[in-house]
Amino acid sequence: MHRIKFIDQMAQGKLSRRKMLQSASAFGVGALMLPRPSAAAEVLTCLEWGGYDSADYFQAYVDKYGAQPNFSIFAGEEDALAKVLAGFAADVMHPCNYSVSRFVNAGVAKEIDTSRLSHWNDIFPALQIAEGVVWEGKTVMAPADWGNSSLAYRPDLLPPEFAENPTWSIFYDEEYTGRVAMTDNEMAIIIGAMVGGMSYDEAYKLEGAALEAAAKEWGTKAVNVSKFLWTDSSEVQQAMASGEIVAAYAWNDLIANLRNEGVPVAFAKPKEGMFTWFCGLTLLNTGKADEQAAYDFIDAWLSPETGKALIEGSGYGHANLKSFEIADAAAIEAMGITDPVAMMADTIVFKTPTDAVQEGFNKVWGDTKALKY
Amino acid sequence: MTALSDPIEVSPPRDAERFRRWLRGYGLLSPALAVMFAMLALPIAALVLLSFWTQNGFELDRSLTVENYAQLVRLKDEPTIWFGIPFYFNYPVPAILMIKSVIMSLTATIAVIALAYPMAYFLAFRVHKHKALWIIMITIPFWTSYLLRVFAWKVVLGFNGAINSGLKAIGVIDQPLEFLLYNPGAVVITLAHSWVAFAILPIYVSLEKIDRSLLEAASDLGDSKLKRFFRITLPLSAPGTVAASLLVFIPTVGDYVTPTLVGGPGGTMIGNLVQELFLKQNNAPLGAAVAITMMLIIALIVAIFLWAIGYRRIRARRM
Repeated sequence: MHRIKFIDQMAQGKLSRRKMLQSASAFGVGALMLPRPSAAAEVLTCLEWGGYDSADYFQAYVDKYGAQPNFSIFAGEEDALAKVLAGFAADVMHPCNYSVSRFVNAGVAKEIDTSRLSHWNDIFPALQIAEGVVWEGKTVMAPADWGNSSLAYRPDLLPPEFAENPTWSIFYDEEYTGRVAMTDNEMAIIIGAMVGGMSYDEAYKLEGAALEAAAKEWGTKAVNVSKFLWTDSSEVQQAMASGEIVAAYAWNDLIANLRNEGVPVAFAKPKEGMFTWFCGLTLLNTGKADEQAAYDFIDAWLSPETGKALIEGSGYGHANLKSFEIADAAAIEAMGITDPVAMMADTIVFKTPTDAVQEGFNKVWGDTKALKY
Repeated sequence: MTALSDPIEVSPPRDAERFRRWLRGYGLLSPALAVMFAMLALPIAALVLLSFWTQNGFELDRSLTVENYAQLVRLKDEPTIWFGIPFYFNYPVPAILMIKSVIMSLTATIAVIALAYPMAYFLAFRVHKHKALWIIMITIPFWTSYLLRVFAWKVVLGFNGAINSGLKAIGVIDQPLEFLLYNPGAVVITLAHSWVAFAILPIYVSLEKIDRSLLEAASDLGDSKLKRFFRITLPLSAPGTVAASLLVFIPTVGDYVTPTLVGGPGGTMIGNLVQELFLKQNNAPLGAAVAITMMLIIALIVAIFLWAIGYRRIRARRM
C-alpha cells in the first residue's frame, strides 16, 4: 500500500479496522490496539525443580499447545515462594506435601477443581486425600511424583561396617570432613537433632532456644563437615561420581543416574530413618495464562506416560496407579517399594511445619551457614 | 570599545549566551541523567525507604521505623566467637560477613594490582609496536561471560580439575588436593582473575602519560633503576593505580556469583546474605538495611583510603 494512500484512507475513515491492525502489527503496535488478547496467547509459566523442565514429563501438554511452557527453576520451595511474593507471575508451582501450606497461607494458591483433571481418578486413593494434597479442606495440590530423601553413599569408598549399619551421623563426624555433602536446607539441623536422639516429630517443629541450640550443635557440625552444601542435584551427582564425596543427602534420581553411569552407589536406610515426600502441582493465582492451560499442564503431569518416564528415568514413584502397569518391569523392580502407602508406612513422611517454625528454620540455617569460616 | 566593555550594555546577551550553553550542556547530559535517575537514584531511594519498613510474616509493615538498623547494632552479653574475635552483637552475622567480605576483597584487590601493574608496565615501557593489538589480546578472556569465567575456575580448581589431574599425572600428589575449591581462597583467586583486565587499563594509561624525560633526568642525576622507579614511576602512576584499586575493591565487596559458585559454605560474603534475606528469609526490609549499611561502610573505607594516601596531593601533582 502506498504511504500517501494509507494516510488519506485513514484520514477519510475509509480504512477497515482489520487493515489498520494489519498495518499496525507490522510495527509491533498491533498488540496495544487489539482488544484484550485471547488468553491462550499468554504462555504458561511454571516454577519447577531443576530437571523437571524436560518435555518427557508433560508431553501431552506439548502435543496440545505445540510448545513448552516457560520455566523458572528453583532450588527450594522457599526461594520459589519469595519469588512469587516479590511479584513473579507464575501459573503453576511444584511444591511438596510439607511445603504446600506455605503457598496457601501466603494467599497465592488456588483450589484445584479435580473434575477438570482427566487422570484424577487413577491417582492412588490414599494420595488423593493425603495431608498436603488437601489443606484446610481444599484440594490445593495434584499429587504427581513421590520418592525418598535418604543417605546415598559409595560402598566402594566406605568401610563395610558403614554399609552394615548406615547412619546419618556421618554428616556430623569430623573424621569425614570434606568427604560428604549435606543439602543446603534446614534438614541438616533436623537430621542432626535426630542423630542426637530426638524423634522427627519433635525435631521438625523445633523453635526458639531449642532450635538455636540444635543449630549451634548440629547445624554448625554439618556446615563444617560438608565439602559443600548442595542446591543443585547435578552438582552432588558429579561430586559423588568422581569420588570427591563418599556420602550425600540425596533423592532417588541420584541413585538412578549414577547407576546408569556404572558408578557403585547405594541408597541407605539409615538407622535414624529415611524420609518420604510426595510432590505435585499447585495452581497459583498470580499467573496470567489461561487457566485451562494450567489444568492441561497438571493433567499431563498426572498421565501414566509421565509416570513411566519418571519411574524409568529417575527412579521416582508416580501418583498414577496406571503408570506402574506400563513402566518397564526392571525399573519398577529397582525401585523397591512401589506402593506409596506402603512406602509411607515404612519410612518417615515429611511433615508440614507452621509458618513461624519454617521462618525460624530459614533464619537460623542462614545464620549458621554465614558463620562458617 | 567603551560600549563593549560597558557591563550594563553587554551582560544581557552574555547571560543569554551562558544560559544557552548551560542548556546545551544539560541537553547533552540529559539522556545519561535520565538513565541515572531512573536506574540508580530511584532504586536507591526505594531501597532506603524499604529499609525503614518491616516484614511481618508475609505482610510488609509500612510504618516507618529504624528497627532494621537497630537489629544490626543491638548488643547482647554473651559474645559470638568468630576466628577468636568476640562479637557482642545480638545478630552478629552481618557484621562478621562485612568484615570477612572486606578482607577477602582487599586481598583480591592487592592480588589484582600485583598482577596488573607489571603487565601495564610492560605494555607502557617495553611494547613499542602493535600496542593496540596487545591491549585487545589482554581483554580477550573478557569477551566471555563473567559467569562462565567463574565456572571455569570451578573446573580448574575442582577435585578432578586441571590442577589436580595435572599434579597427579606428573606424580607430585597421589590424592587430589582438597583445599583448592570451596573456600575463601578460591573466591579470592577467582575474583582476582575476573577483575585484572579492569585494572590493567587505568594503570597503563597513567604509566603511558609519564614524561620519559623525567626518567632520563633521574638516571642522569644518579638514581639507580630501582630508586628511579620508586621516586618517579610509582608516584606518577599512583592516580591510575588508585583508580584501579577502587574499581576492583568496590564491586568485589558485594559480589554474589563468585562466592555462590566457588565459595562453598565457608566462602560466603555479604552479598550472599543480602540475597538470602531478600529471597529465602523473605525479609526484604532487613536485606535493604544490610545493603544500605554495606554501601555506607564501603564509602567510608574508600574515603579513609583516599585520605590516607593523600589523593588530593597526587591529583594536584599530576595537573
